[in-house]
Amino acid sequence: MGHEEELEAYRSQLLESLNSRPEIRSWSDPIQVYVNERRVGELESAGIGAMLQVQCVDHIETVQLRAEDGTLLGGLTAPECGYRTDRVRLSADTVELSVHNLAQGGTLSALFTPAPSFWSRAWKSIADVTDRVVARRPEPALAYGMRTVAFTQALLAIAVVGLVADRITTGRTSDRTPSPVVQTATLSPAPAVDMAKFEQQLGELARMQAKVDDALGSQQKGVVQLQQALVKLSSTQESFESNVLTVREEIEKRLETVGRETDRQTRQMASRGRVEQEQLEAAIQNLTADNHRLAKEVVSLEEYNQVLKTKLQTAVASASKAVDPSPERLLKMADSLQATQQQMPFLFWVTFSDGTSQESIDKWVYEMQGHKGAVSEGWQEVRIVPPAVPPDRFLEQIRGEKIVKAARIGQ
Amino acid sequence: MALTRMHNTLSKSHVMADRMVTVNRLEEVVSTSDEFDQVVSQALPMLLDRATGYTKRFLRETGQWNDDIEHEKFALRWGSEYLERFLVCGRSEVPCRPLFLFDSLVAKQHSKPEPFCYHPDLLRPLGRFLDGLVARAVVSRDALIALYHHSYGWGAGDVIAVTGLNGLESQRIYKNFRRWRESGWQRTMDEVGLTKAELAELGHQQQRQRQRFNSEAERLIRVAQAHYRKSEPDHYPCLSRSQWGDMFAQGYGCDYRIWHLALCLDCMQTAWGLGSSGSLTGEKPRLELQVRP
Ligand SMILES: [Zn+2]
Repeated sequence: MGHEEELEAYRSQLLESLNSRPEIRSWSDPIQVYVNERRVGELESAGIGAMLQVQCVDHIETVQLRAEDGTLLGGLTAPECGYRTDRVRLSADTVELSVHNLAQGGTLSALFTPAPSFWSRAWKSIADVTDRVVARRPEPALAYGMRTVAFTQALLAIAVVGLVADRITTGRTSDRTPSPVVQTATLSPAPAVDMAKFEQQLGELARMQAKVDDALGSQQKGVVQLQQALVKLSSTQESFESNVLTVREEIEKRLETVGRETDRQTRQMASRGRVEQEQLEAAIQNLTADNHRLAKEVVSLEEYNQVLKTKLQTAVASASKAVDPSPERLLKMADSLQATQQQMPFLFWVTFSDGTSQESIDKWVYEMQGHKGAVSEGWQEVRIVPPAVPPDRFLEQIRGEKIVKAARIGQ
Repeated sequence: MALTRMHNTLSKSHVMADRMVTVNRLEEVVSTSDEFDQVVSQALPMLLDRATGYTKRFLRETGQWNDDIEHEKFALRWGSEYLERFLVCGRSEVPCRPLFLFDSLVAKQHSKPEPFCYHPDLLRPLGRFLDGLVARAVVSRDALIALYHHSYGWGAGDVIAVTGLNGLESQRIYKNFRRWRESGWQRTMDEVGLTKAELAELGHQQQRQRQRFNSEAERLIRVAQAHYRKSEPDHYPCLSRSQWGDMFAQGYGCDYRIWHLALCLDCMQTAWGLGSSGSLTGEKPRLELQVRP
């Protein structure tokens, strides 16, 4: 064959393949989506609705939809600024493409809508499953089950919704978005078989979901425990700011780590393609282990809290005399201080609200099991047995009394 | 004799006249997608020649042209590629004048830094085979998966083990293999214009000069992979062994693994053994180019 003929044969071949339009059938395989000739994701399309959203830092020039074998199914070219929408028909199914280009970049949303079919029968049970998930995590932008990936250059982020057996989505980007769903392996012309398989998978999915729920529940319990510990800590340490701050920072740090951990595991669990039962169980074991770890952390935090409390009391009691702030020294001082405090009465000075009768003053002192001392410039000295709470806390309490106008320790 | 010649001249001028009509029609405004399809589908040969002509000119002007059949084929291949995109995407541009839209689409392609993977060695049969394979892998998942077979001689089970896939994802791999064997491979060979004779010759070399064949193939596939990897999602760069390890161990990045490992010989070496669950504990894989699917 001469070059001329070879070339002509090649040309005819190319023309022939250009002439033959893609085979019309129901697309049971995922549809590959390309933006500016880069692959950005896929639309799961086995008879179910699916949606793909893509954000680009560059303008979207072209969008292409391709079958797994590479056949170009449809696409559009978009204007530099503004909107372009198009509906690509694939047999009875449709993909609605919508591009919005702005000066800062573009967004694409591709919505796959299958031809109405027996699948609609399954909607209800699917909705039950998804509703449970939706109830758990309401934030739509980054709910787990969506794959969100940061792109380094051209593409900023892509989020895939509407997934497969073990991928459950929670986000609904628009009202038109069909419920996120479950996909069986193939949509064959034998619906009865498929239906049975589908229902079975749906059952499995529900069970899996329940497990995930449990795991998440216990994980969240751990977080709640930590939060309680945090609340307890901060309520008892108001007057020892610096130490409290350290603890709080530490707790927040841990909470953050735990939160991130929870979040990461959650998202990973949901978005991880087709999770098998075993993998799921392993993940749950991990969560349980994490929970144990959390519980231990709470205990140790509480222990630390006790230590701090002791330090706090002694440090405040000796605040005026303390010269050496080292904790060991403070503790020693606390011991001796406590010993002396037991023998010495606690002195403080109060003034009373205008019009308070002497009788109610006496009654008040009596109720405190105290004794009146000197009176100086309207201030009454009161002696009591050392209070259980730190002095300034005690003064706060006193000041809160109805008849007390002011209270202080020194003269 | 004279009659035949006259007839030929007549039909030739008839063709010319037809062509003028087609061109004129393409310059007019079409206002619906259906009208677009109709007008354009009648003008495919003319549009193919037009796109091929532009591509030749581009190659000439960028110093990449040679007067030989390889370059002619290359220009035809890309002309057809542009035309395919025009057929599918152009219909969303209505109302428009198809001819001008077509010209601008081709011009836009050629204004890119690297509109296609050009390398003189990729124009010869082995290069064309590899270029076609890798180029197709970018747009077809079947071809992507088949790339594992063509590069290392693996079957579906090996691919699943190496990339560490799970149940459902595996089913898809078997389907990819089947479709590739049934039609994908032939279609790709047709697309790059590899003749039966050329394919037979490649098969010969593969059998007889195995080492030379494979080392040449490795050199060329690296050129193609480096070019086409740019079509991968941007967030799929090369990774270190520990990064790959994390991904395999934690079971995420399924897509990442499939895409990148098929298109990167080096990362395949780096990530070797991470997903194989003991079944593939041999030496690191070397390129063993397979011509047939
Ligand atoms: Zn790599």
